[in-house]
Amino acid sequence: MDCEKFDRIVLDLLYDELDELTSAAARRHMEHCTRCRGIGAGLRATREVGVLPLVLAPEGLERKILEAEQQATQLLPFGKRLGRGLSLLAGYAMRPQLSMAALLMLMIGSSLFFLRAQPGDREHVLVTERGVPESDNESATAVVPKKPSPAEAAPEPARATARSAPHFDDALARRDRAPEAKADRPMAAATEPAPAPMATAEARGGGLSAFGADDKQAEGNADVTSDSDASYDAAMAAYRDGRYSEAERRFGEIANQAGEHAANAALYEVQALRMVSGCPTAAPRFEDVHTRYPGAVGNSAAWQAADCYRSLGELARARQNYDELATDPNYKARASEALAELDQRAADQGSAARKGAAAGAAAPTKKAASAPAAAKPATPPSQ
Amino acid sequence: MAAVQGDATDEMLMVRYQRGERAAFAELVRRHSRPIYNFVLRQLRVPSVAEDVTQDVFMRLVQNAAEFKHEARFLTWLYTIARNLCIDQLRKSSHRRHASLDEPVGDNPDGQPLIESLSDPNPQTSAERGALSSQVRSSIVKAVDSLPDDQREVFLLREVANLPFRDIAEITGVGENTVKSRMRYALDRLKDALCDFEEYARALR
Repeated sequence: MDCEKFDRIVLDLLYDELDELTSAAARRHMEHCTRCRGIGAGLRATREVGVLPLVLAPEGLERKILEAEQQATQLLPFGKRLGRGLSLLAGYAMRPQLSMAALLMLMIGSSLFFLRAQPGDREHVLVTERGVPESDNESATAVVPKKPSPAEAAPEPARATARSAPHFDDALARRDRAPEAKADRPMAAATEPAPAPMATAEARGGGLSAFGADDKQAEGNADVTSDSDASYDAAMAAYRDGRYSEAERRFGEIANQAGEHAANAALYEVQALRMVSGCPTAAPRFEDVHTRYPGAVGNSAAWQAADCYRSLGELARARQNYDELATDPNYKARASEALAELDQRAADQGSAARKGAAAGAAAPTKKAASAPAAAKPATPPSQ
Repeated sequence: MAAVQGDATDEMLMVRYQRGERAAFAELVRRHSRPIYNFVLRQLRVPSVAEDVTQDVFMRLVQNAAEFKHEARFLTWLYTIARNLCIDQLRKSSHRRHASLDEPVGDNPDGQPLIESLSDPNPQTSAERGALSSQVRSSIVKAVDSLPDDQREVFLLREVANLPFRDIAEITGVGENTVKSRMRYALDRLKDALCDFEEYARALR
């Protein structure tokens, strides 16, 4: 510290308004600076001796002030009294305890809100992946809040037939297994088989039969367990296990009995036959089922027959079936799509045929042009 | 009237008075009426006027109690009121009347001289920093009285109100360095008035 700085802080030093470090530095400076030591000592002595004596306040001044305050308070305007009241209330409102209590209440309230929103307190709703029947999950209890529209409940032959055969069969098998997992569901209805459209429809969560009156009738007799049910289960088991010949035979027997499972058994019989012998044998049989069992089963058979025809290249017959199915609202869209595919296929074939014809027409011309040249060497011997 | 704790700060008392505790106001009057009276008396030099102005200072406090902010420093606020009232009073009288220390106090011609009224009847006050002779006290009062207004104002706020330089700067509306400079001049003038006395020489040793 130098003398200049000391002059700046000497009053702070005199009235103890310096921090400890600066104060110690100033004192150290005073120890070896005669000038500053003299200034400091002079100011300190002046302050010690030059105490300004305080005069006593006149007697009764405090009392007068308090009386005046009392009068002033009584005469205080309403606005100021209101302001004082508000100030009083604000003073209480600004207390930390009140703030903490408000914060605590806020935290409790928000906690209750979040606790109430926890999924554990809600009704159990299991959601399965789209396309997978809820019966795959044995513990699942699907909630069907509303009846699906006809379009939703409609079978999806195109999608079903687009799948490979094992997938199609798996869907059928799952459709048949599903009722078994439901203990409270009647056995007859539970074991009722359904063709591909039905399996797809139920997999979509509809849970309603797409077979119309036939199935409803079958469900009406669901509480009746009979030997035909056991036979049907056995046939279905054989089908699921891939024993298609046996399944064909068993389904055939059930179909011949003309029982409640006859229609579905007939359809499964032909499907098993297709697995064994292929479409050339199965296609006419599908047509037979279509003729014998009009309705959902018959339509399904017609659809599979059309698929067979298409795979066999018999496009005209396939088109005939698709045209017929296009009149059914459940098959209209898919049938139209299939017909469009057939048209495209026919156009491609026509185009290929035209190219082939053009190529065939060009070949004789070349042959005609090259023939005299080739014949020429032959002529000399004749000449 | 609720009891008021003695260790409560002025600010706490003021807040309590805002809430309607009159006992808090009484405690504030008890604490500050004498320093305020002395500050006003040294500025105006007429005891009767100083008494009235002191009363006005506290009445102004009552009227503006709701405007007091919790974070404000009470003493700064109080002495700002006192200073403003002193300035108003001096403007009213239009001229500074330098009362003689030998003239009687107030309107009573038989009253005691001002110098005697200024002598401290309370021995505790002076005993803190050594006993002073009446001659020294008279010289101190004369020296303070002869100070320029701005220097005397700063000196009184520092020595009577015991306010720090920062608060004095806020009250007077000038910079802190200016306040210190004025204080330094005032102390130098006081030193000149005291340097002949034995008490001062003893304090220097």
